[in-house]
Amino acid sequence: MSGAFLLLRLSLKRVRLLLLATGLVLAGFQVLRVLIAASVHKAGDFEQIAALLPPAVRTVLGPSVTSVMSFNGIVCGGYFDLGIVLALVVLTIALATLPAAEIETGFADLILARPMRRHWLITRTIALVLLAIGLMLFMITAGIWSGLALFAPADAPGPPARQVAALVVNLGMLLLSWGGVAMAFGAACRRAVAGPATALIAFASLLLDYAQKLWSPLEWIGWLSPFRYYAPFELIMGDPLPVENLLVLGAIALTGFTVAYFIISERDISR
Amino acid sequence: MNRLEGCVTHEPALSNPYALQNQAAIPCESGQHPPPSADRTATPAISIRGLTKRYGALTALNDLNLEIHRGEIFGFLGLNGAGKTTAIRLLLDLLRPTSGQAFIFGYNCWAEGLDARARIGYLPGELGLYLDLTGLETLDFLAGLNRQPLDKGHRQSLCDRLELSGNDLRRRLRQYSTGMKRKLGIIQAFQAKPPLLILDEPTEGLDPLMQESFYGLLAEVKRGGATVFMSSHVLSEVERVCDRIALLRKGEMVLLSSVQESRRLAPRRVRVSFSEDVNAPPELPPGYQLTEQTPRLWRLAVAGPLGPLLARLAGLPVKDMDIDEARLEDVVRRYYRGTDDPEQPLTPALSPSEGAREKPPQPWG
Repeated sequence: MSGAFLLLRLSLKRVRLLLLATGLVLAGFQVLRVLIAASVHKAGDFEQIAALLPPAVRTVLGPSVTSVMSFNGIVCGGYFDLGIVLALVVLTIALATLPAAEIETGFADLILARPMRRHWLITRTIALVLLAIGLMLFMITAGIWSGLALFAPADAPGPPARQVAALVVNLGMLLLSWGGVAMAFGAACRRAVAGPATALIAFASLLLDYAQKLWSPLEWIGWLSPFRYYAPFELIMGDPLPVENLLVLGAIALTGFTVAYFIISERDISR
Repeated sequence: MNRLEGCVTHEPALSNPYALQNQAAIPCESGQHPPPSADRTATPAISIRGLTKRYGALTALNDLNLEIHRGEIFGFLGLNGAGKTTAIRLLLDLLRPTSGQAFIFGYNCWAEGLDARARIGYLPGELGLYLDLTGLETLDFLAGLNRQPLDKGHRQSLCDRLELSGNDLRRRLRQYSTGMKRKLGIIQAFQAKPPLLILDEPTEGLDPLMQESFYGLLAEVKRGGATVFMSSHVLSEVERVCDRIALLRKGEMVLLSSVQESRRLAPRRVRVSFSEDVNAPPELPPGYQLTEQTPRLWRLAVAGPLGPLLARLAGLPVKDMDIDEARLEDVVRRYYRGTDDPEQPLTPALSPSEGAREKPPQPWG
């Protein structure tokens, strides 16, 4: 068994409980969402709920407000719920800064003092982040399908698979882009700096994205926020997944990974 | 810069079947064996040429030149911040040098780092472990990163020797004491039977009984032909187990010698007591220094043969005479303090911890 695979297996083993617990919470939350959506659907209260939305939220949602405030919109809310998205971003950042933690604790010394190339620290982390993102998105989707199978009203069949797939891919790429940013920071500085710094940037980016939707003068810097390239409301309305959004998010992730590879290959491994 | 080098001609080990056998079993990363012209079996275990590491204006290691012969136990001494750990981390490619070269069994530590590190067992000074893993999981994981299959019988014998039981190995590391973690560190370094062991402060945290076991282990691997490169603060330990020593001070090597020869660099201490009052000797031969004198007691520091002293004492009412052989500590302390003059009188022994207080610890040490 190659050292690289052992490294990945050890990392997965160490985070398995965290991932499973988070995945189960997300899946359970989705089942609950379906239950709520079914209840509202039966009562026919979607329009009333939409009317209760504050004007700022209506502005942010734009023409998608009707779609979001529908059975399918609420069911798919797990893919763009602010709390869930931020939690997933934080989880991704925590995993992506694993090399920084290994260097700080000195565990990297034990690994790299053996015939292991430095890049495996990064390659393993990319694989770990991909697997974690995949698992989280799978658990959200599994929660939705389970909820639909159990609670969906007969006249509300749920979102089409293509729509769910588009949301999964777009959210997955968004998380991966933050993984790339966190990995670049994590390769250069301590985890105690890299983690919070990336989280802060992510939060600021999210605020910027919302702010530029509410206040048009900010649109000229709105493109800086990776959240701009995540368009769940348009996807809920049935728009196709914009390939350029995926390319931008992919480019951010790739740049982050490349920077991380470069830094880790050049830097001193010291606490 | 006073550099004392090559005080004694060290005979390199002529045969090292353990090391050679192990090396032959370790595949080259490139998949190719070195060309016949590059006879790596004749190379030193470690060869360091002009190795320098700077952090901005700070020089952690300056122009280190050193060869460690196969099969020897080499002690690397110095106060905190002297550059010992920096040198070790450079050999392991954990740090990148500012200049210079280093080779492990002829493999360039950076260009052929994988081949070099495949031959090393490393014990860090501060062991970074995942506390949520068990001892066995840690050992299995680290063994898996080596290129060789693990000899579980050998690992078991290491555990037995260091008294780390199966129950201990099944416990999570957060339940381990400092000493147990150190034992685990030693086992992970030795378990792959590497031909070269690089040990940073190996007995730090071990109780005296375990230290004895560790010394026994060192003797065993030396008999097997392996090379040991160890840093230590414990001079008695170095004196006991090492064949040669190098001493670093402020990033520079100031002493390179065999342990036996290095002792000769310090004067012996002679105490002569008399049954009657005697006068002070009018003059002393070169290399002699009277450090204390009363009518019935002389204390002398003697560098060189004792014959002239005995001749001088022949007509005096000598009651008793003690001769203390010079200790490594006497030599090393002088270099720690930065006075290389062997003629300088010695002051009472300075313990390593006292010595360490003389110079504040440096961040790179």
